Amino acid sequence: MAEKVLMPKQGNSVESCIIVSWLKKEGDAVAVGDILCEVETDKATIEVESGFEGTLLKIFYEEDADVPVHELIALIGQPGEDISGYAAGGEGHTSDGSAPAAPEERIASAPVVSQPAVQTPAAQPSEAVEGKRAGSPRAMNLAAAKGIDIRTVAGTGPDGRVIERDILTLTKDYPSLSPAAIEELLKSGKPLPVKGSGIGGRVLLTDVQNRDAALRPSAATVPGAMAAFPGPVEDIKVRGIRKITAERMFDSLATTAQLTLNSSADATAILSLRKKFKNSDESLGLQKITINDMILFAVAKTLPKYPELNEHFLGDTIRRFEKVHLGCAVNTEKGLLVPVIKDAGAYSLKGISEKGKELFGAAHDGKSNPDDLQGGTFTVTNLGSMGIESFTPVLNKPEVGILGVCSVNLKPVDRDGEVKFVPYMGLSLTIDHQAVDGAPGAAFLQELVKAIENIDLLTAV
Amino acid sequence: MPRSQVVDPIEVRKSDVIKIKDIPVNQYKPDIKKELKKYGKEGLKNIYYDMLMVREFEMMLNSIKTEGSYNGLTYNHKGPAHLSAGQESASVGQSYHLTADDFIFGSHRSHGEILSKSFSAVRQMDDKDLTGIMENFFGGDCLRVVEKGYKNGDTKDLAENFVLYGALAEIFARATGFNKGLGGSMHTFFSPFGSMPNNAIVGGSADISMGAALYKRVNRKPGIVIGNIGDASLGCGPVWEALSMGSMDQYSTLWDKSLGGNPPWMLNIFNNFYGMGGQTSGETMGYGLAARVGAGVNPDNMHTERVDGFNPLAVADAMERKKKLLLEGKGPVFMETITYRLSGHSPSDASSYRSKEEIDSFRENDSLEGYGRYLLENGVISESEQAELKSRVVDKITNTMSLAINDEVSPHVSASFIESVMFSNGNEPKLDDREPEVLTPKEENPQVKSNKRKNRFAFDENGKPYPAARTFTLRDGLFEAMIHRFYEDPTMIAYGEENRDWGGAFAVYRGLTEALPYHRLFNSPISEAAIVGSAVGYAMSGGRAVAELMYCDFMGRAGDEIFNQMPKWQSMSGGVLKMPLVLRVSVGNKYGAQHSQDWTALTAHIPGLKVMFPTTPYDAKGMLNLALRGTDPVIFFESQKLYGIGEQFEKEGVPEGYYEIPEGEPAIRREGKDITFLTIGSTLYTAMEAAEKLKADHGLEAEVIDMRFMNPLNYEKIIESVKKTGKILLASDASERGSFLHTAASHISRQAFDYLDAPPVVVGAMNWITPPAEMEDYFFPSADWLIDAVHEQILPLPGYAAKSNQTNGEVLRRNKEGV
Repeated sequence: MAEKVLMPKQGNSVESCIIVSWLKKEGDAVAVGDILCEVETDKATIEVESGFEGTLLKIFYEEDADVPVHELIALIGQPGEDISGYAAGGEGHTSDGSAPAAPEERIASAPVVSQPAVQTPAAQPSEAVEGKRAGSPRAMNLAAAKGIDIRTVAGTGPDGRVIERDILTLTKDYPSLSPAAIEELLKSGKPLPVKGSGIGGRVLLTDVQNRDAALRPSAATVPGAMAAFPGPVEDIKVRGIRKITAERMFDSLATTAQLTLNSSADATAILSLRKKFKNSDESLGLQKITINDMILFAVAKTLPKYPELNEHFLGDTIRRFEKVHLGCAVNTEKGLLVPVIKDAGAYSLKGISEKGKELFGAAHDGKSNPDDLQGGTFTVTNLGSMGIESFTPVLNKPEVGILGVCSVNLKPVDRDGEVKFVPYMGLSLTIDHQAVDGAPGAAFLQELVKAIENIDLLTAV
Repeated sequence: MPRSQVVDPIEVRKSDVIKIKDIPVNQYKPDIKKELKKYGKEGLKNIYYDMLMVREFEMMLNSIKTEGSYNGLTYNHKGPAHLSAGQESASVGQSYHLTADDFIFGSHRSHGEILSKSFSAVRQMDDKDLTGIMENFFGGDCLRVVEKGYKNGDTKDLAENFVLYGALAEIFARATGFNKGLGGSMHTFFSPFGSMPNNAIVGGSADISMGAALYKRVNRKPGIVIGNIGDASLGCGPVWEALSMGSMDQYSTLWDKSLGGNPPWMLNIFNNFYGMGGQTSGETMGYGLAARVGAGVNPDNMHTERVDGFNPLAVADAMERKKKLLLEGKGPVFMETITYRLSGHSPSDASSYRSKEEIDSFRENDSLEGYGRYLLENGVISESEQAELKSRVVDKITNTMSLAINDEVSPHVSASFIESVMFSNGNEPKLDDREPEVLTPKEENPQVKSNKRKNRFAFDENGKPYPAARTFTLRDGLFEAMIHRFYEDPTMIAYGEENRDWGGAFAVYRGLTEALPYHRLFNSPISEAAIVGSAVGYAMSGGRAVAELMYCDFMGRAGDEIFNQMPKWQSMSGGVLKMPLVLRVSVGNKYGAQHSQDWTALTAHIPGLKVMFPTTPYDAKGMLNLALRGTDPVIFFESQKLYGIGEQFEKEGVPEGYYEIPEGEPAIRREGKDITFLTIGSTLYTAMEAAEKLKADHGLEAEVIDMRFMNPLNYEKIIESVKKTGKILLASDASERGSFLHTAASHISRQAFDYLDAPPVVVGAMNWITPPAEMEDYFFPSADWLIDAVHEQILPLPGYAAKSNQTNGEVLRRNKEGV
């Protein structure tokens, strides 16, 4: 009997993945662990491994197809085997009566019950589609409000009924809802807003009520006679990283109190050190340390002295981190990614440079591990190479600080009565004024300026 | 069990025979001279006129029912018409000597009694009183129609028209009728003239009229009370119970002599020889002459006799004699008044059970013709006078009908009016202003003193329960409500089995014997129907009654009184009557199948009853206070498991002063967020135990709600709780099938459907007999059963193994097996 390869689910919010490329083709022999294909989520690219040994009998979706998670994408079995009973997606599931993999995983993680359910949870989508009662009214309402198709949820209630706790287990990481918002969601059946306007993104009653208005298409239409006016246009579907970025940036600007402080640091020392590294003995492995690496290093060393900048603002609580997990914005072909150097303060300059290269490289290649794209406590973004002299970086919520690194420019400086042109590096620090006041932000920036100006000393610390 | 009266073994074992005194049968001897002297020509003619009126009234209805028209007027009367044509002499004769203070209660066949009694009262009352009554009745609604619709003569003529119109409009279910059209043919009455409710349940007026007589005696009111029932009603148990309770020795042996002796009650059998089609003497009964029955009741034979009801003057004569006896306190009286209905039982009756010859022979004995002839022969009235009276009667009846069938003049009430008279919702601390009759000041009462020494909260400051003797219990709460009202409302009486001396089988009334004279607290015979029925009569007459049934299971013995009488009279009277009657019903256990049932559902099902079931001392007092100041019939359930329980919820304890629990509001006994338990009765404590276990073993917080009220019931608090928790389990000690909890579950499903995480689940007692005490664990819900049901039906509990079978399959199986 053929083994089924299903589109994996990477995280709770992922609904579908795009097949980037098939590394095996129909008829190829595959072993356990062989990479069958690469698929792309909105955050990262994932390799789908074979869990079986045999021949790749059938590929159901071509490259570039956007396939819902848990759908059947390929079959592995013996050559000549009859696979006529299978079809793409869910059509073939009933042939052997087995349940899709993901619900089973969730059954395993759901509370273990002693003996009430006579049957195993009914999770066969075909049955669900035919109207089998899938869940309690409360669970169905909650699922609808959270945008979950209840038919995909394994129930732990009597006879496998999906009950409230099943949805709560699934959605424990969802944005928090105000009681009034929950009431409205349950009452109105409206979908859950992506983010709320309350503290920490809490979804408020108004967010639910206004969502319709926000979604309603503009009444303005383009008159036929004017249709030629804009010339050729291309509609690009907002999805993947663009979509995530759009939501996050908007959310950030909409729900935080952003304040940008500008300063600059004498770059003489850092430029000089960069030159030294470049010219150093290759065996030392220091040649590839960049200005950016040194800035990251300086931030990682300075931030612990200003814990109020190394925080998450969560609405009713502020989570202060002892360790610095430093994100660094990377521009990739697919868009903006922010790999995170976990515990950046623990690295030497060389170490931070090497770790950065590894993470940034993966990001550029579209192969970041999703784990490396989350968990940051402070972010550095660098537009200096493009001649930007100052800007207002946008906070990466729920972080409360982001440092923008600008270009190096010569600045006339009074040195013992003599005007000298000294290279200065611009620094733009955006803080969330909800969590951090201007003075500590400025103090941090001032200390960072000192650290950069004395970067050679810092490396010795 | 009065200790003052000793049962002597020597005496009771003595050899003797019972000698029954002679029972007079048709002893009246017509004597026109004496009759003219007593009644005068006018009186004798009035009797004739009233008989003519009743006959025409009934023949008009007969014509409408059988031909759809009368005297050129067509009408389709949808309702019943049990006619008394042929029986006019009996009803008119009975009413002649009665005043408005005298009450008559009747049956489904009482049109003639209503008219006769009212006509008699109208003749006796002065114009001012008559006008006052008519103007005040329903704000003059009925009077205005009569004033416009008739060519009225003097006030008495107006009042006569008022009676005719009010009665017929009521029979045709009109808003201008005596009872707003809600009583109709079989129930209507007009109490200002002493015509009291007529009852569509055979024999239903027996115990009710006896209770009205109690009211007159206890409250020292003038007049006598007659229950008019048919011969066939002598087959009804409650009639015999009424005879027993109406003739108790204690009225003469133990009650305060100043009250005036025995209750002034007469049970009169209008014997027309048939109960529908059953021939009572000769077929369905064995008494020979119904008058014999009185001889079986007390040594006075209840002064029983058979009266020739074909002669109105024979009936009037008997009534005059019996009324005198009753007013002297020498009752009760039993009387058989023979009569004959010429029409069928109802219009559908083809009289297949009696021969044409029999009917013809009674036509020859037609009381109306016979009496008319008698007056004619004795020169009291002339033929032309008779013709004139007949024509006048036909005119009046025709005019009455034309008004009563006119939808504009005589509309029907709206549906909302019916709703408005289901309850009177009164707040009347006392129903009379006189000083209540009590034996001692309240402060000197031994039980009041004892309660003062008790702890009014169950636990001391360390959470340790106080010893039982030092704890203020649920029964003490009931006592405080009772004694409060006894000392406030002079009309309040309480009775039932073992209520006096014993203090009630469960000692709720301990201390009341010392406080109250016999006529306010007494022991009844083991006659549940009469206990409740007489309380209905007492309450509808204007007093406050508290009746007690020792066990809920005994409600079956008082079925008609609880289901048809208590609940219906406020609304059937169109709001004329109030029913300040609290029926205390004790729910038992340990005594097996006939002493352990919770029948709350039966009473909650019946429209017109308020149903309460307190479970804490605080509520017992506050809810009984509420019930006792109201004017509605209340079934007040108590649990024998809880009489001795202390107050566990109200930290301040049970207040010593007066307070009331808000009507219809359930009580949240414990707050929680994960599941709601809703209970009725003592199962509250089972649910509290289950809640503790759920918390300790599964970390779940159960909210526990005590329903307290089944009707009226405000579901809002329950719905709010279910919206919060999404889950509800309902439990009580009543057998599961048909439990009131299913009604509640249905409402909850409807009101909170979108919030439910599981169906509301009902856990009741098994659908079996209650087994003996040793096996009650098999039968009543336990905390484990509740948790098992949660686990199986609502929220599977990790690692939990059910101890009982609460699965759907088992529920299906039990239903399939009928157990």
